[in-house]
Amino acid sequence: MNVDIQSLGTFNELAHEGAKQATQSLAQMTGIDAIVDITKITLLDRDDIGEDLKGRDFVGVQFEYEGILDGDTVLVFDAESADTIAESMIPGASEDPKMAQSAVKEIGNIMMSGFIDGWADYLDSTIDHSPPQYIEKSGADVLPDAPEADDHRQVFVFKSEIEWVGESVNFYIYMLPEYEPLAEAMVESADTESDAIPIDKLQTFNEMTTSGTQQAADNVEMMTGIPTDAEVTQISFAPIEDVPKQIGTDTYVGTVVEFTGIPSGYLMVLFDEVSAVNVAEAMMPVEMDSDELTPQHEAAIEELGNIMTSGFVDGWANVLQTSVDHTPPRLVHDMGRSIVDPLAAQVGQHQEHAFIIDSKMQTDEIEFSAEIHALPNEQELRAALDDLDVERADKTEASVEQMFE
Amino acid sequence: MKVYDGSQTEDAQETEPERLKVGIAEYEVTTGAAVLTTSGLGSCIGIALYDTSTGAAGLVHIMLPTADDVEGGNRAKFADTGVTELVEALEAVGASPSTMQAKIAGGSDMLDFSEDGSSIGSRNLTKVRETLDEFDIPIAGEDVGGDHGRSLQLEADSGDLVVKSANTDSVVL
Repeated sequence: MNVDIQSLGTFNELAHEGAKQATQSLAQMTGIDAIVDITKITLLDRDDIGEDLKGRDFVGVQFEYEGILDGDTVLVFDAESADTIAESMIPGASEDPKMAQSAVKEIGNIMMSGFIDGWADYLDSTIDHSPPQYIEKSGADVLPDAPEADDHRQVFVFKSEIEWVGESVNFYIYMLPEYEPLAEAMVESADTESDAIPIDKLQTFNEMTTSGTQQAADNVEMMTGIPTDAEVTQISFAPIEDVPKQIGTDTYVGTVVEFTGIPSGYLMVLFDEVSAVNVAEAMMPVEMDSDELTPQHEAAIEELGNIMTSGFVDGWANVLQTSVDHTPPRLVHDMGRSIVDPLAAQVGQHQEHAFIIDSKMQTDEIEFSAEIHALPNEQELRAALDDLDVERADKTEASVEQMFE
Repeated sequence: MKVYDGSQTEDAQETEPERLKVGIAEYEVTTGAAVLTTSGLGSCIGIALYDTSTGAAGLVHIMLPTADDVEGGNRAKFADTGVTELVEALEAVGASPSTMQAKIAGGSDMLDFSEDGSSIGSRNLTKVRETLDEFDIPIAGEDVGGDHGRSLQLEADSGDLVVKSANTDSVVL
């Protein structure tokens, strides 16, 4: 089954508009000034969904919907902000758990009705949804189970992040549609087959990326002696201007390369500052006194970035049977978003939307996590996927056989 | 100069002016005392316009030099159409280009892999200057180029533009 770039763009826009409507409902009811920060479609392994919600408590509402699309959707708030929201609707509600709950349910219902109706209108069909169910859970547990399908380990997730202006509070809307109806709806809304991407190959590509990430993680282990695991791999699709928002405003240290071949693009290996110091010290023969990032730390990061990049890119090249070269790494130490910004601008000269490939790795031994983000040229990625020989997919460690029966 | 950095306590909320967040390829205009913010400028440029006669102010965050090659789409994404869009939005609230002044920041050359030496940052900058020049709007302050990222806060009541970087102290334009 193929999905074209245009319908990915359209569906992304649809999710964004839906989230905007939901946010306007919130503003009308509560006076809370909020904006939709980011909306993206992500293809990822079902086990990795909601990884970024880890360690936080959420409350919200869950709906089932059925019709032209089937599945579940949730709207969740940070637990601490729920009281504020309840209070803004019914003064005194935060004192009374029952009232707070019904306020959350009420606002959730209103926000999500707009969200789901928007989809139905666009698809010119009906989508029924169940009454809202109040939920109160921790981390990824707050999300509904991903739809079951025997032949698909990976699922599409629509995710919108809504930011409450001036507060460090976020709302999330997750929509997890069942695979087949979604794929059919996407195919139907496609105008042309010319820029279609085979969904199955996109999944294979994701698996290749996982194996590339594992290779990069192995290289970290080799250099530092710290056992490191590849955690999450996902491929997302978003408007080019949303690409820098994928990374926070925190300061990161790492390396960036331009890679050439099919596909070409940019690859970032980024560490938060604490991780950078920790991992650099693990590579150094002598103990450093400083907690700050010194030129020695930076040199170690540059070396590590280079080796991780090679591991990652080799994973692709092996399967694509192309050579993917990359420039020497450039060391960066800056605000995350401003690192991505010039790369998104480069890519954005030729395309309106972009695929972003994200991987994470971490270790339990010390405080350490690293992120790899790749920003490939969209047309070239499509070409590479077209040429992707499924037979060769077993050249990676990933078990892709069951996906191509 | 007090710098609002989002880490304010609840108490400070009461007296703090309204904050308007400007995303990439977006703009905001205010006639009040709001603080307009935008973050993560690399090769992107933030253009702040302040009308000295009405006190109206606006901020646009542009990403690429020119909209020439693109049909339709978002005007605020490009230097030429983005500046024009912001000028028009300010005119709509009673401001005039003849009393506007500009402050610009961003346009860094960081992570420029192009080999011909014309980075997107510098091309953005050229286009911004050209377009402001067409409107005869003077540039009253700038913090541009270099190889680091920036975040901005435009304090609309004074027209001050606070430029923050990850590794250096804030600058007020």
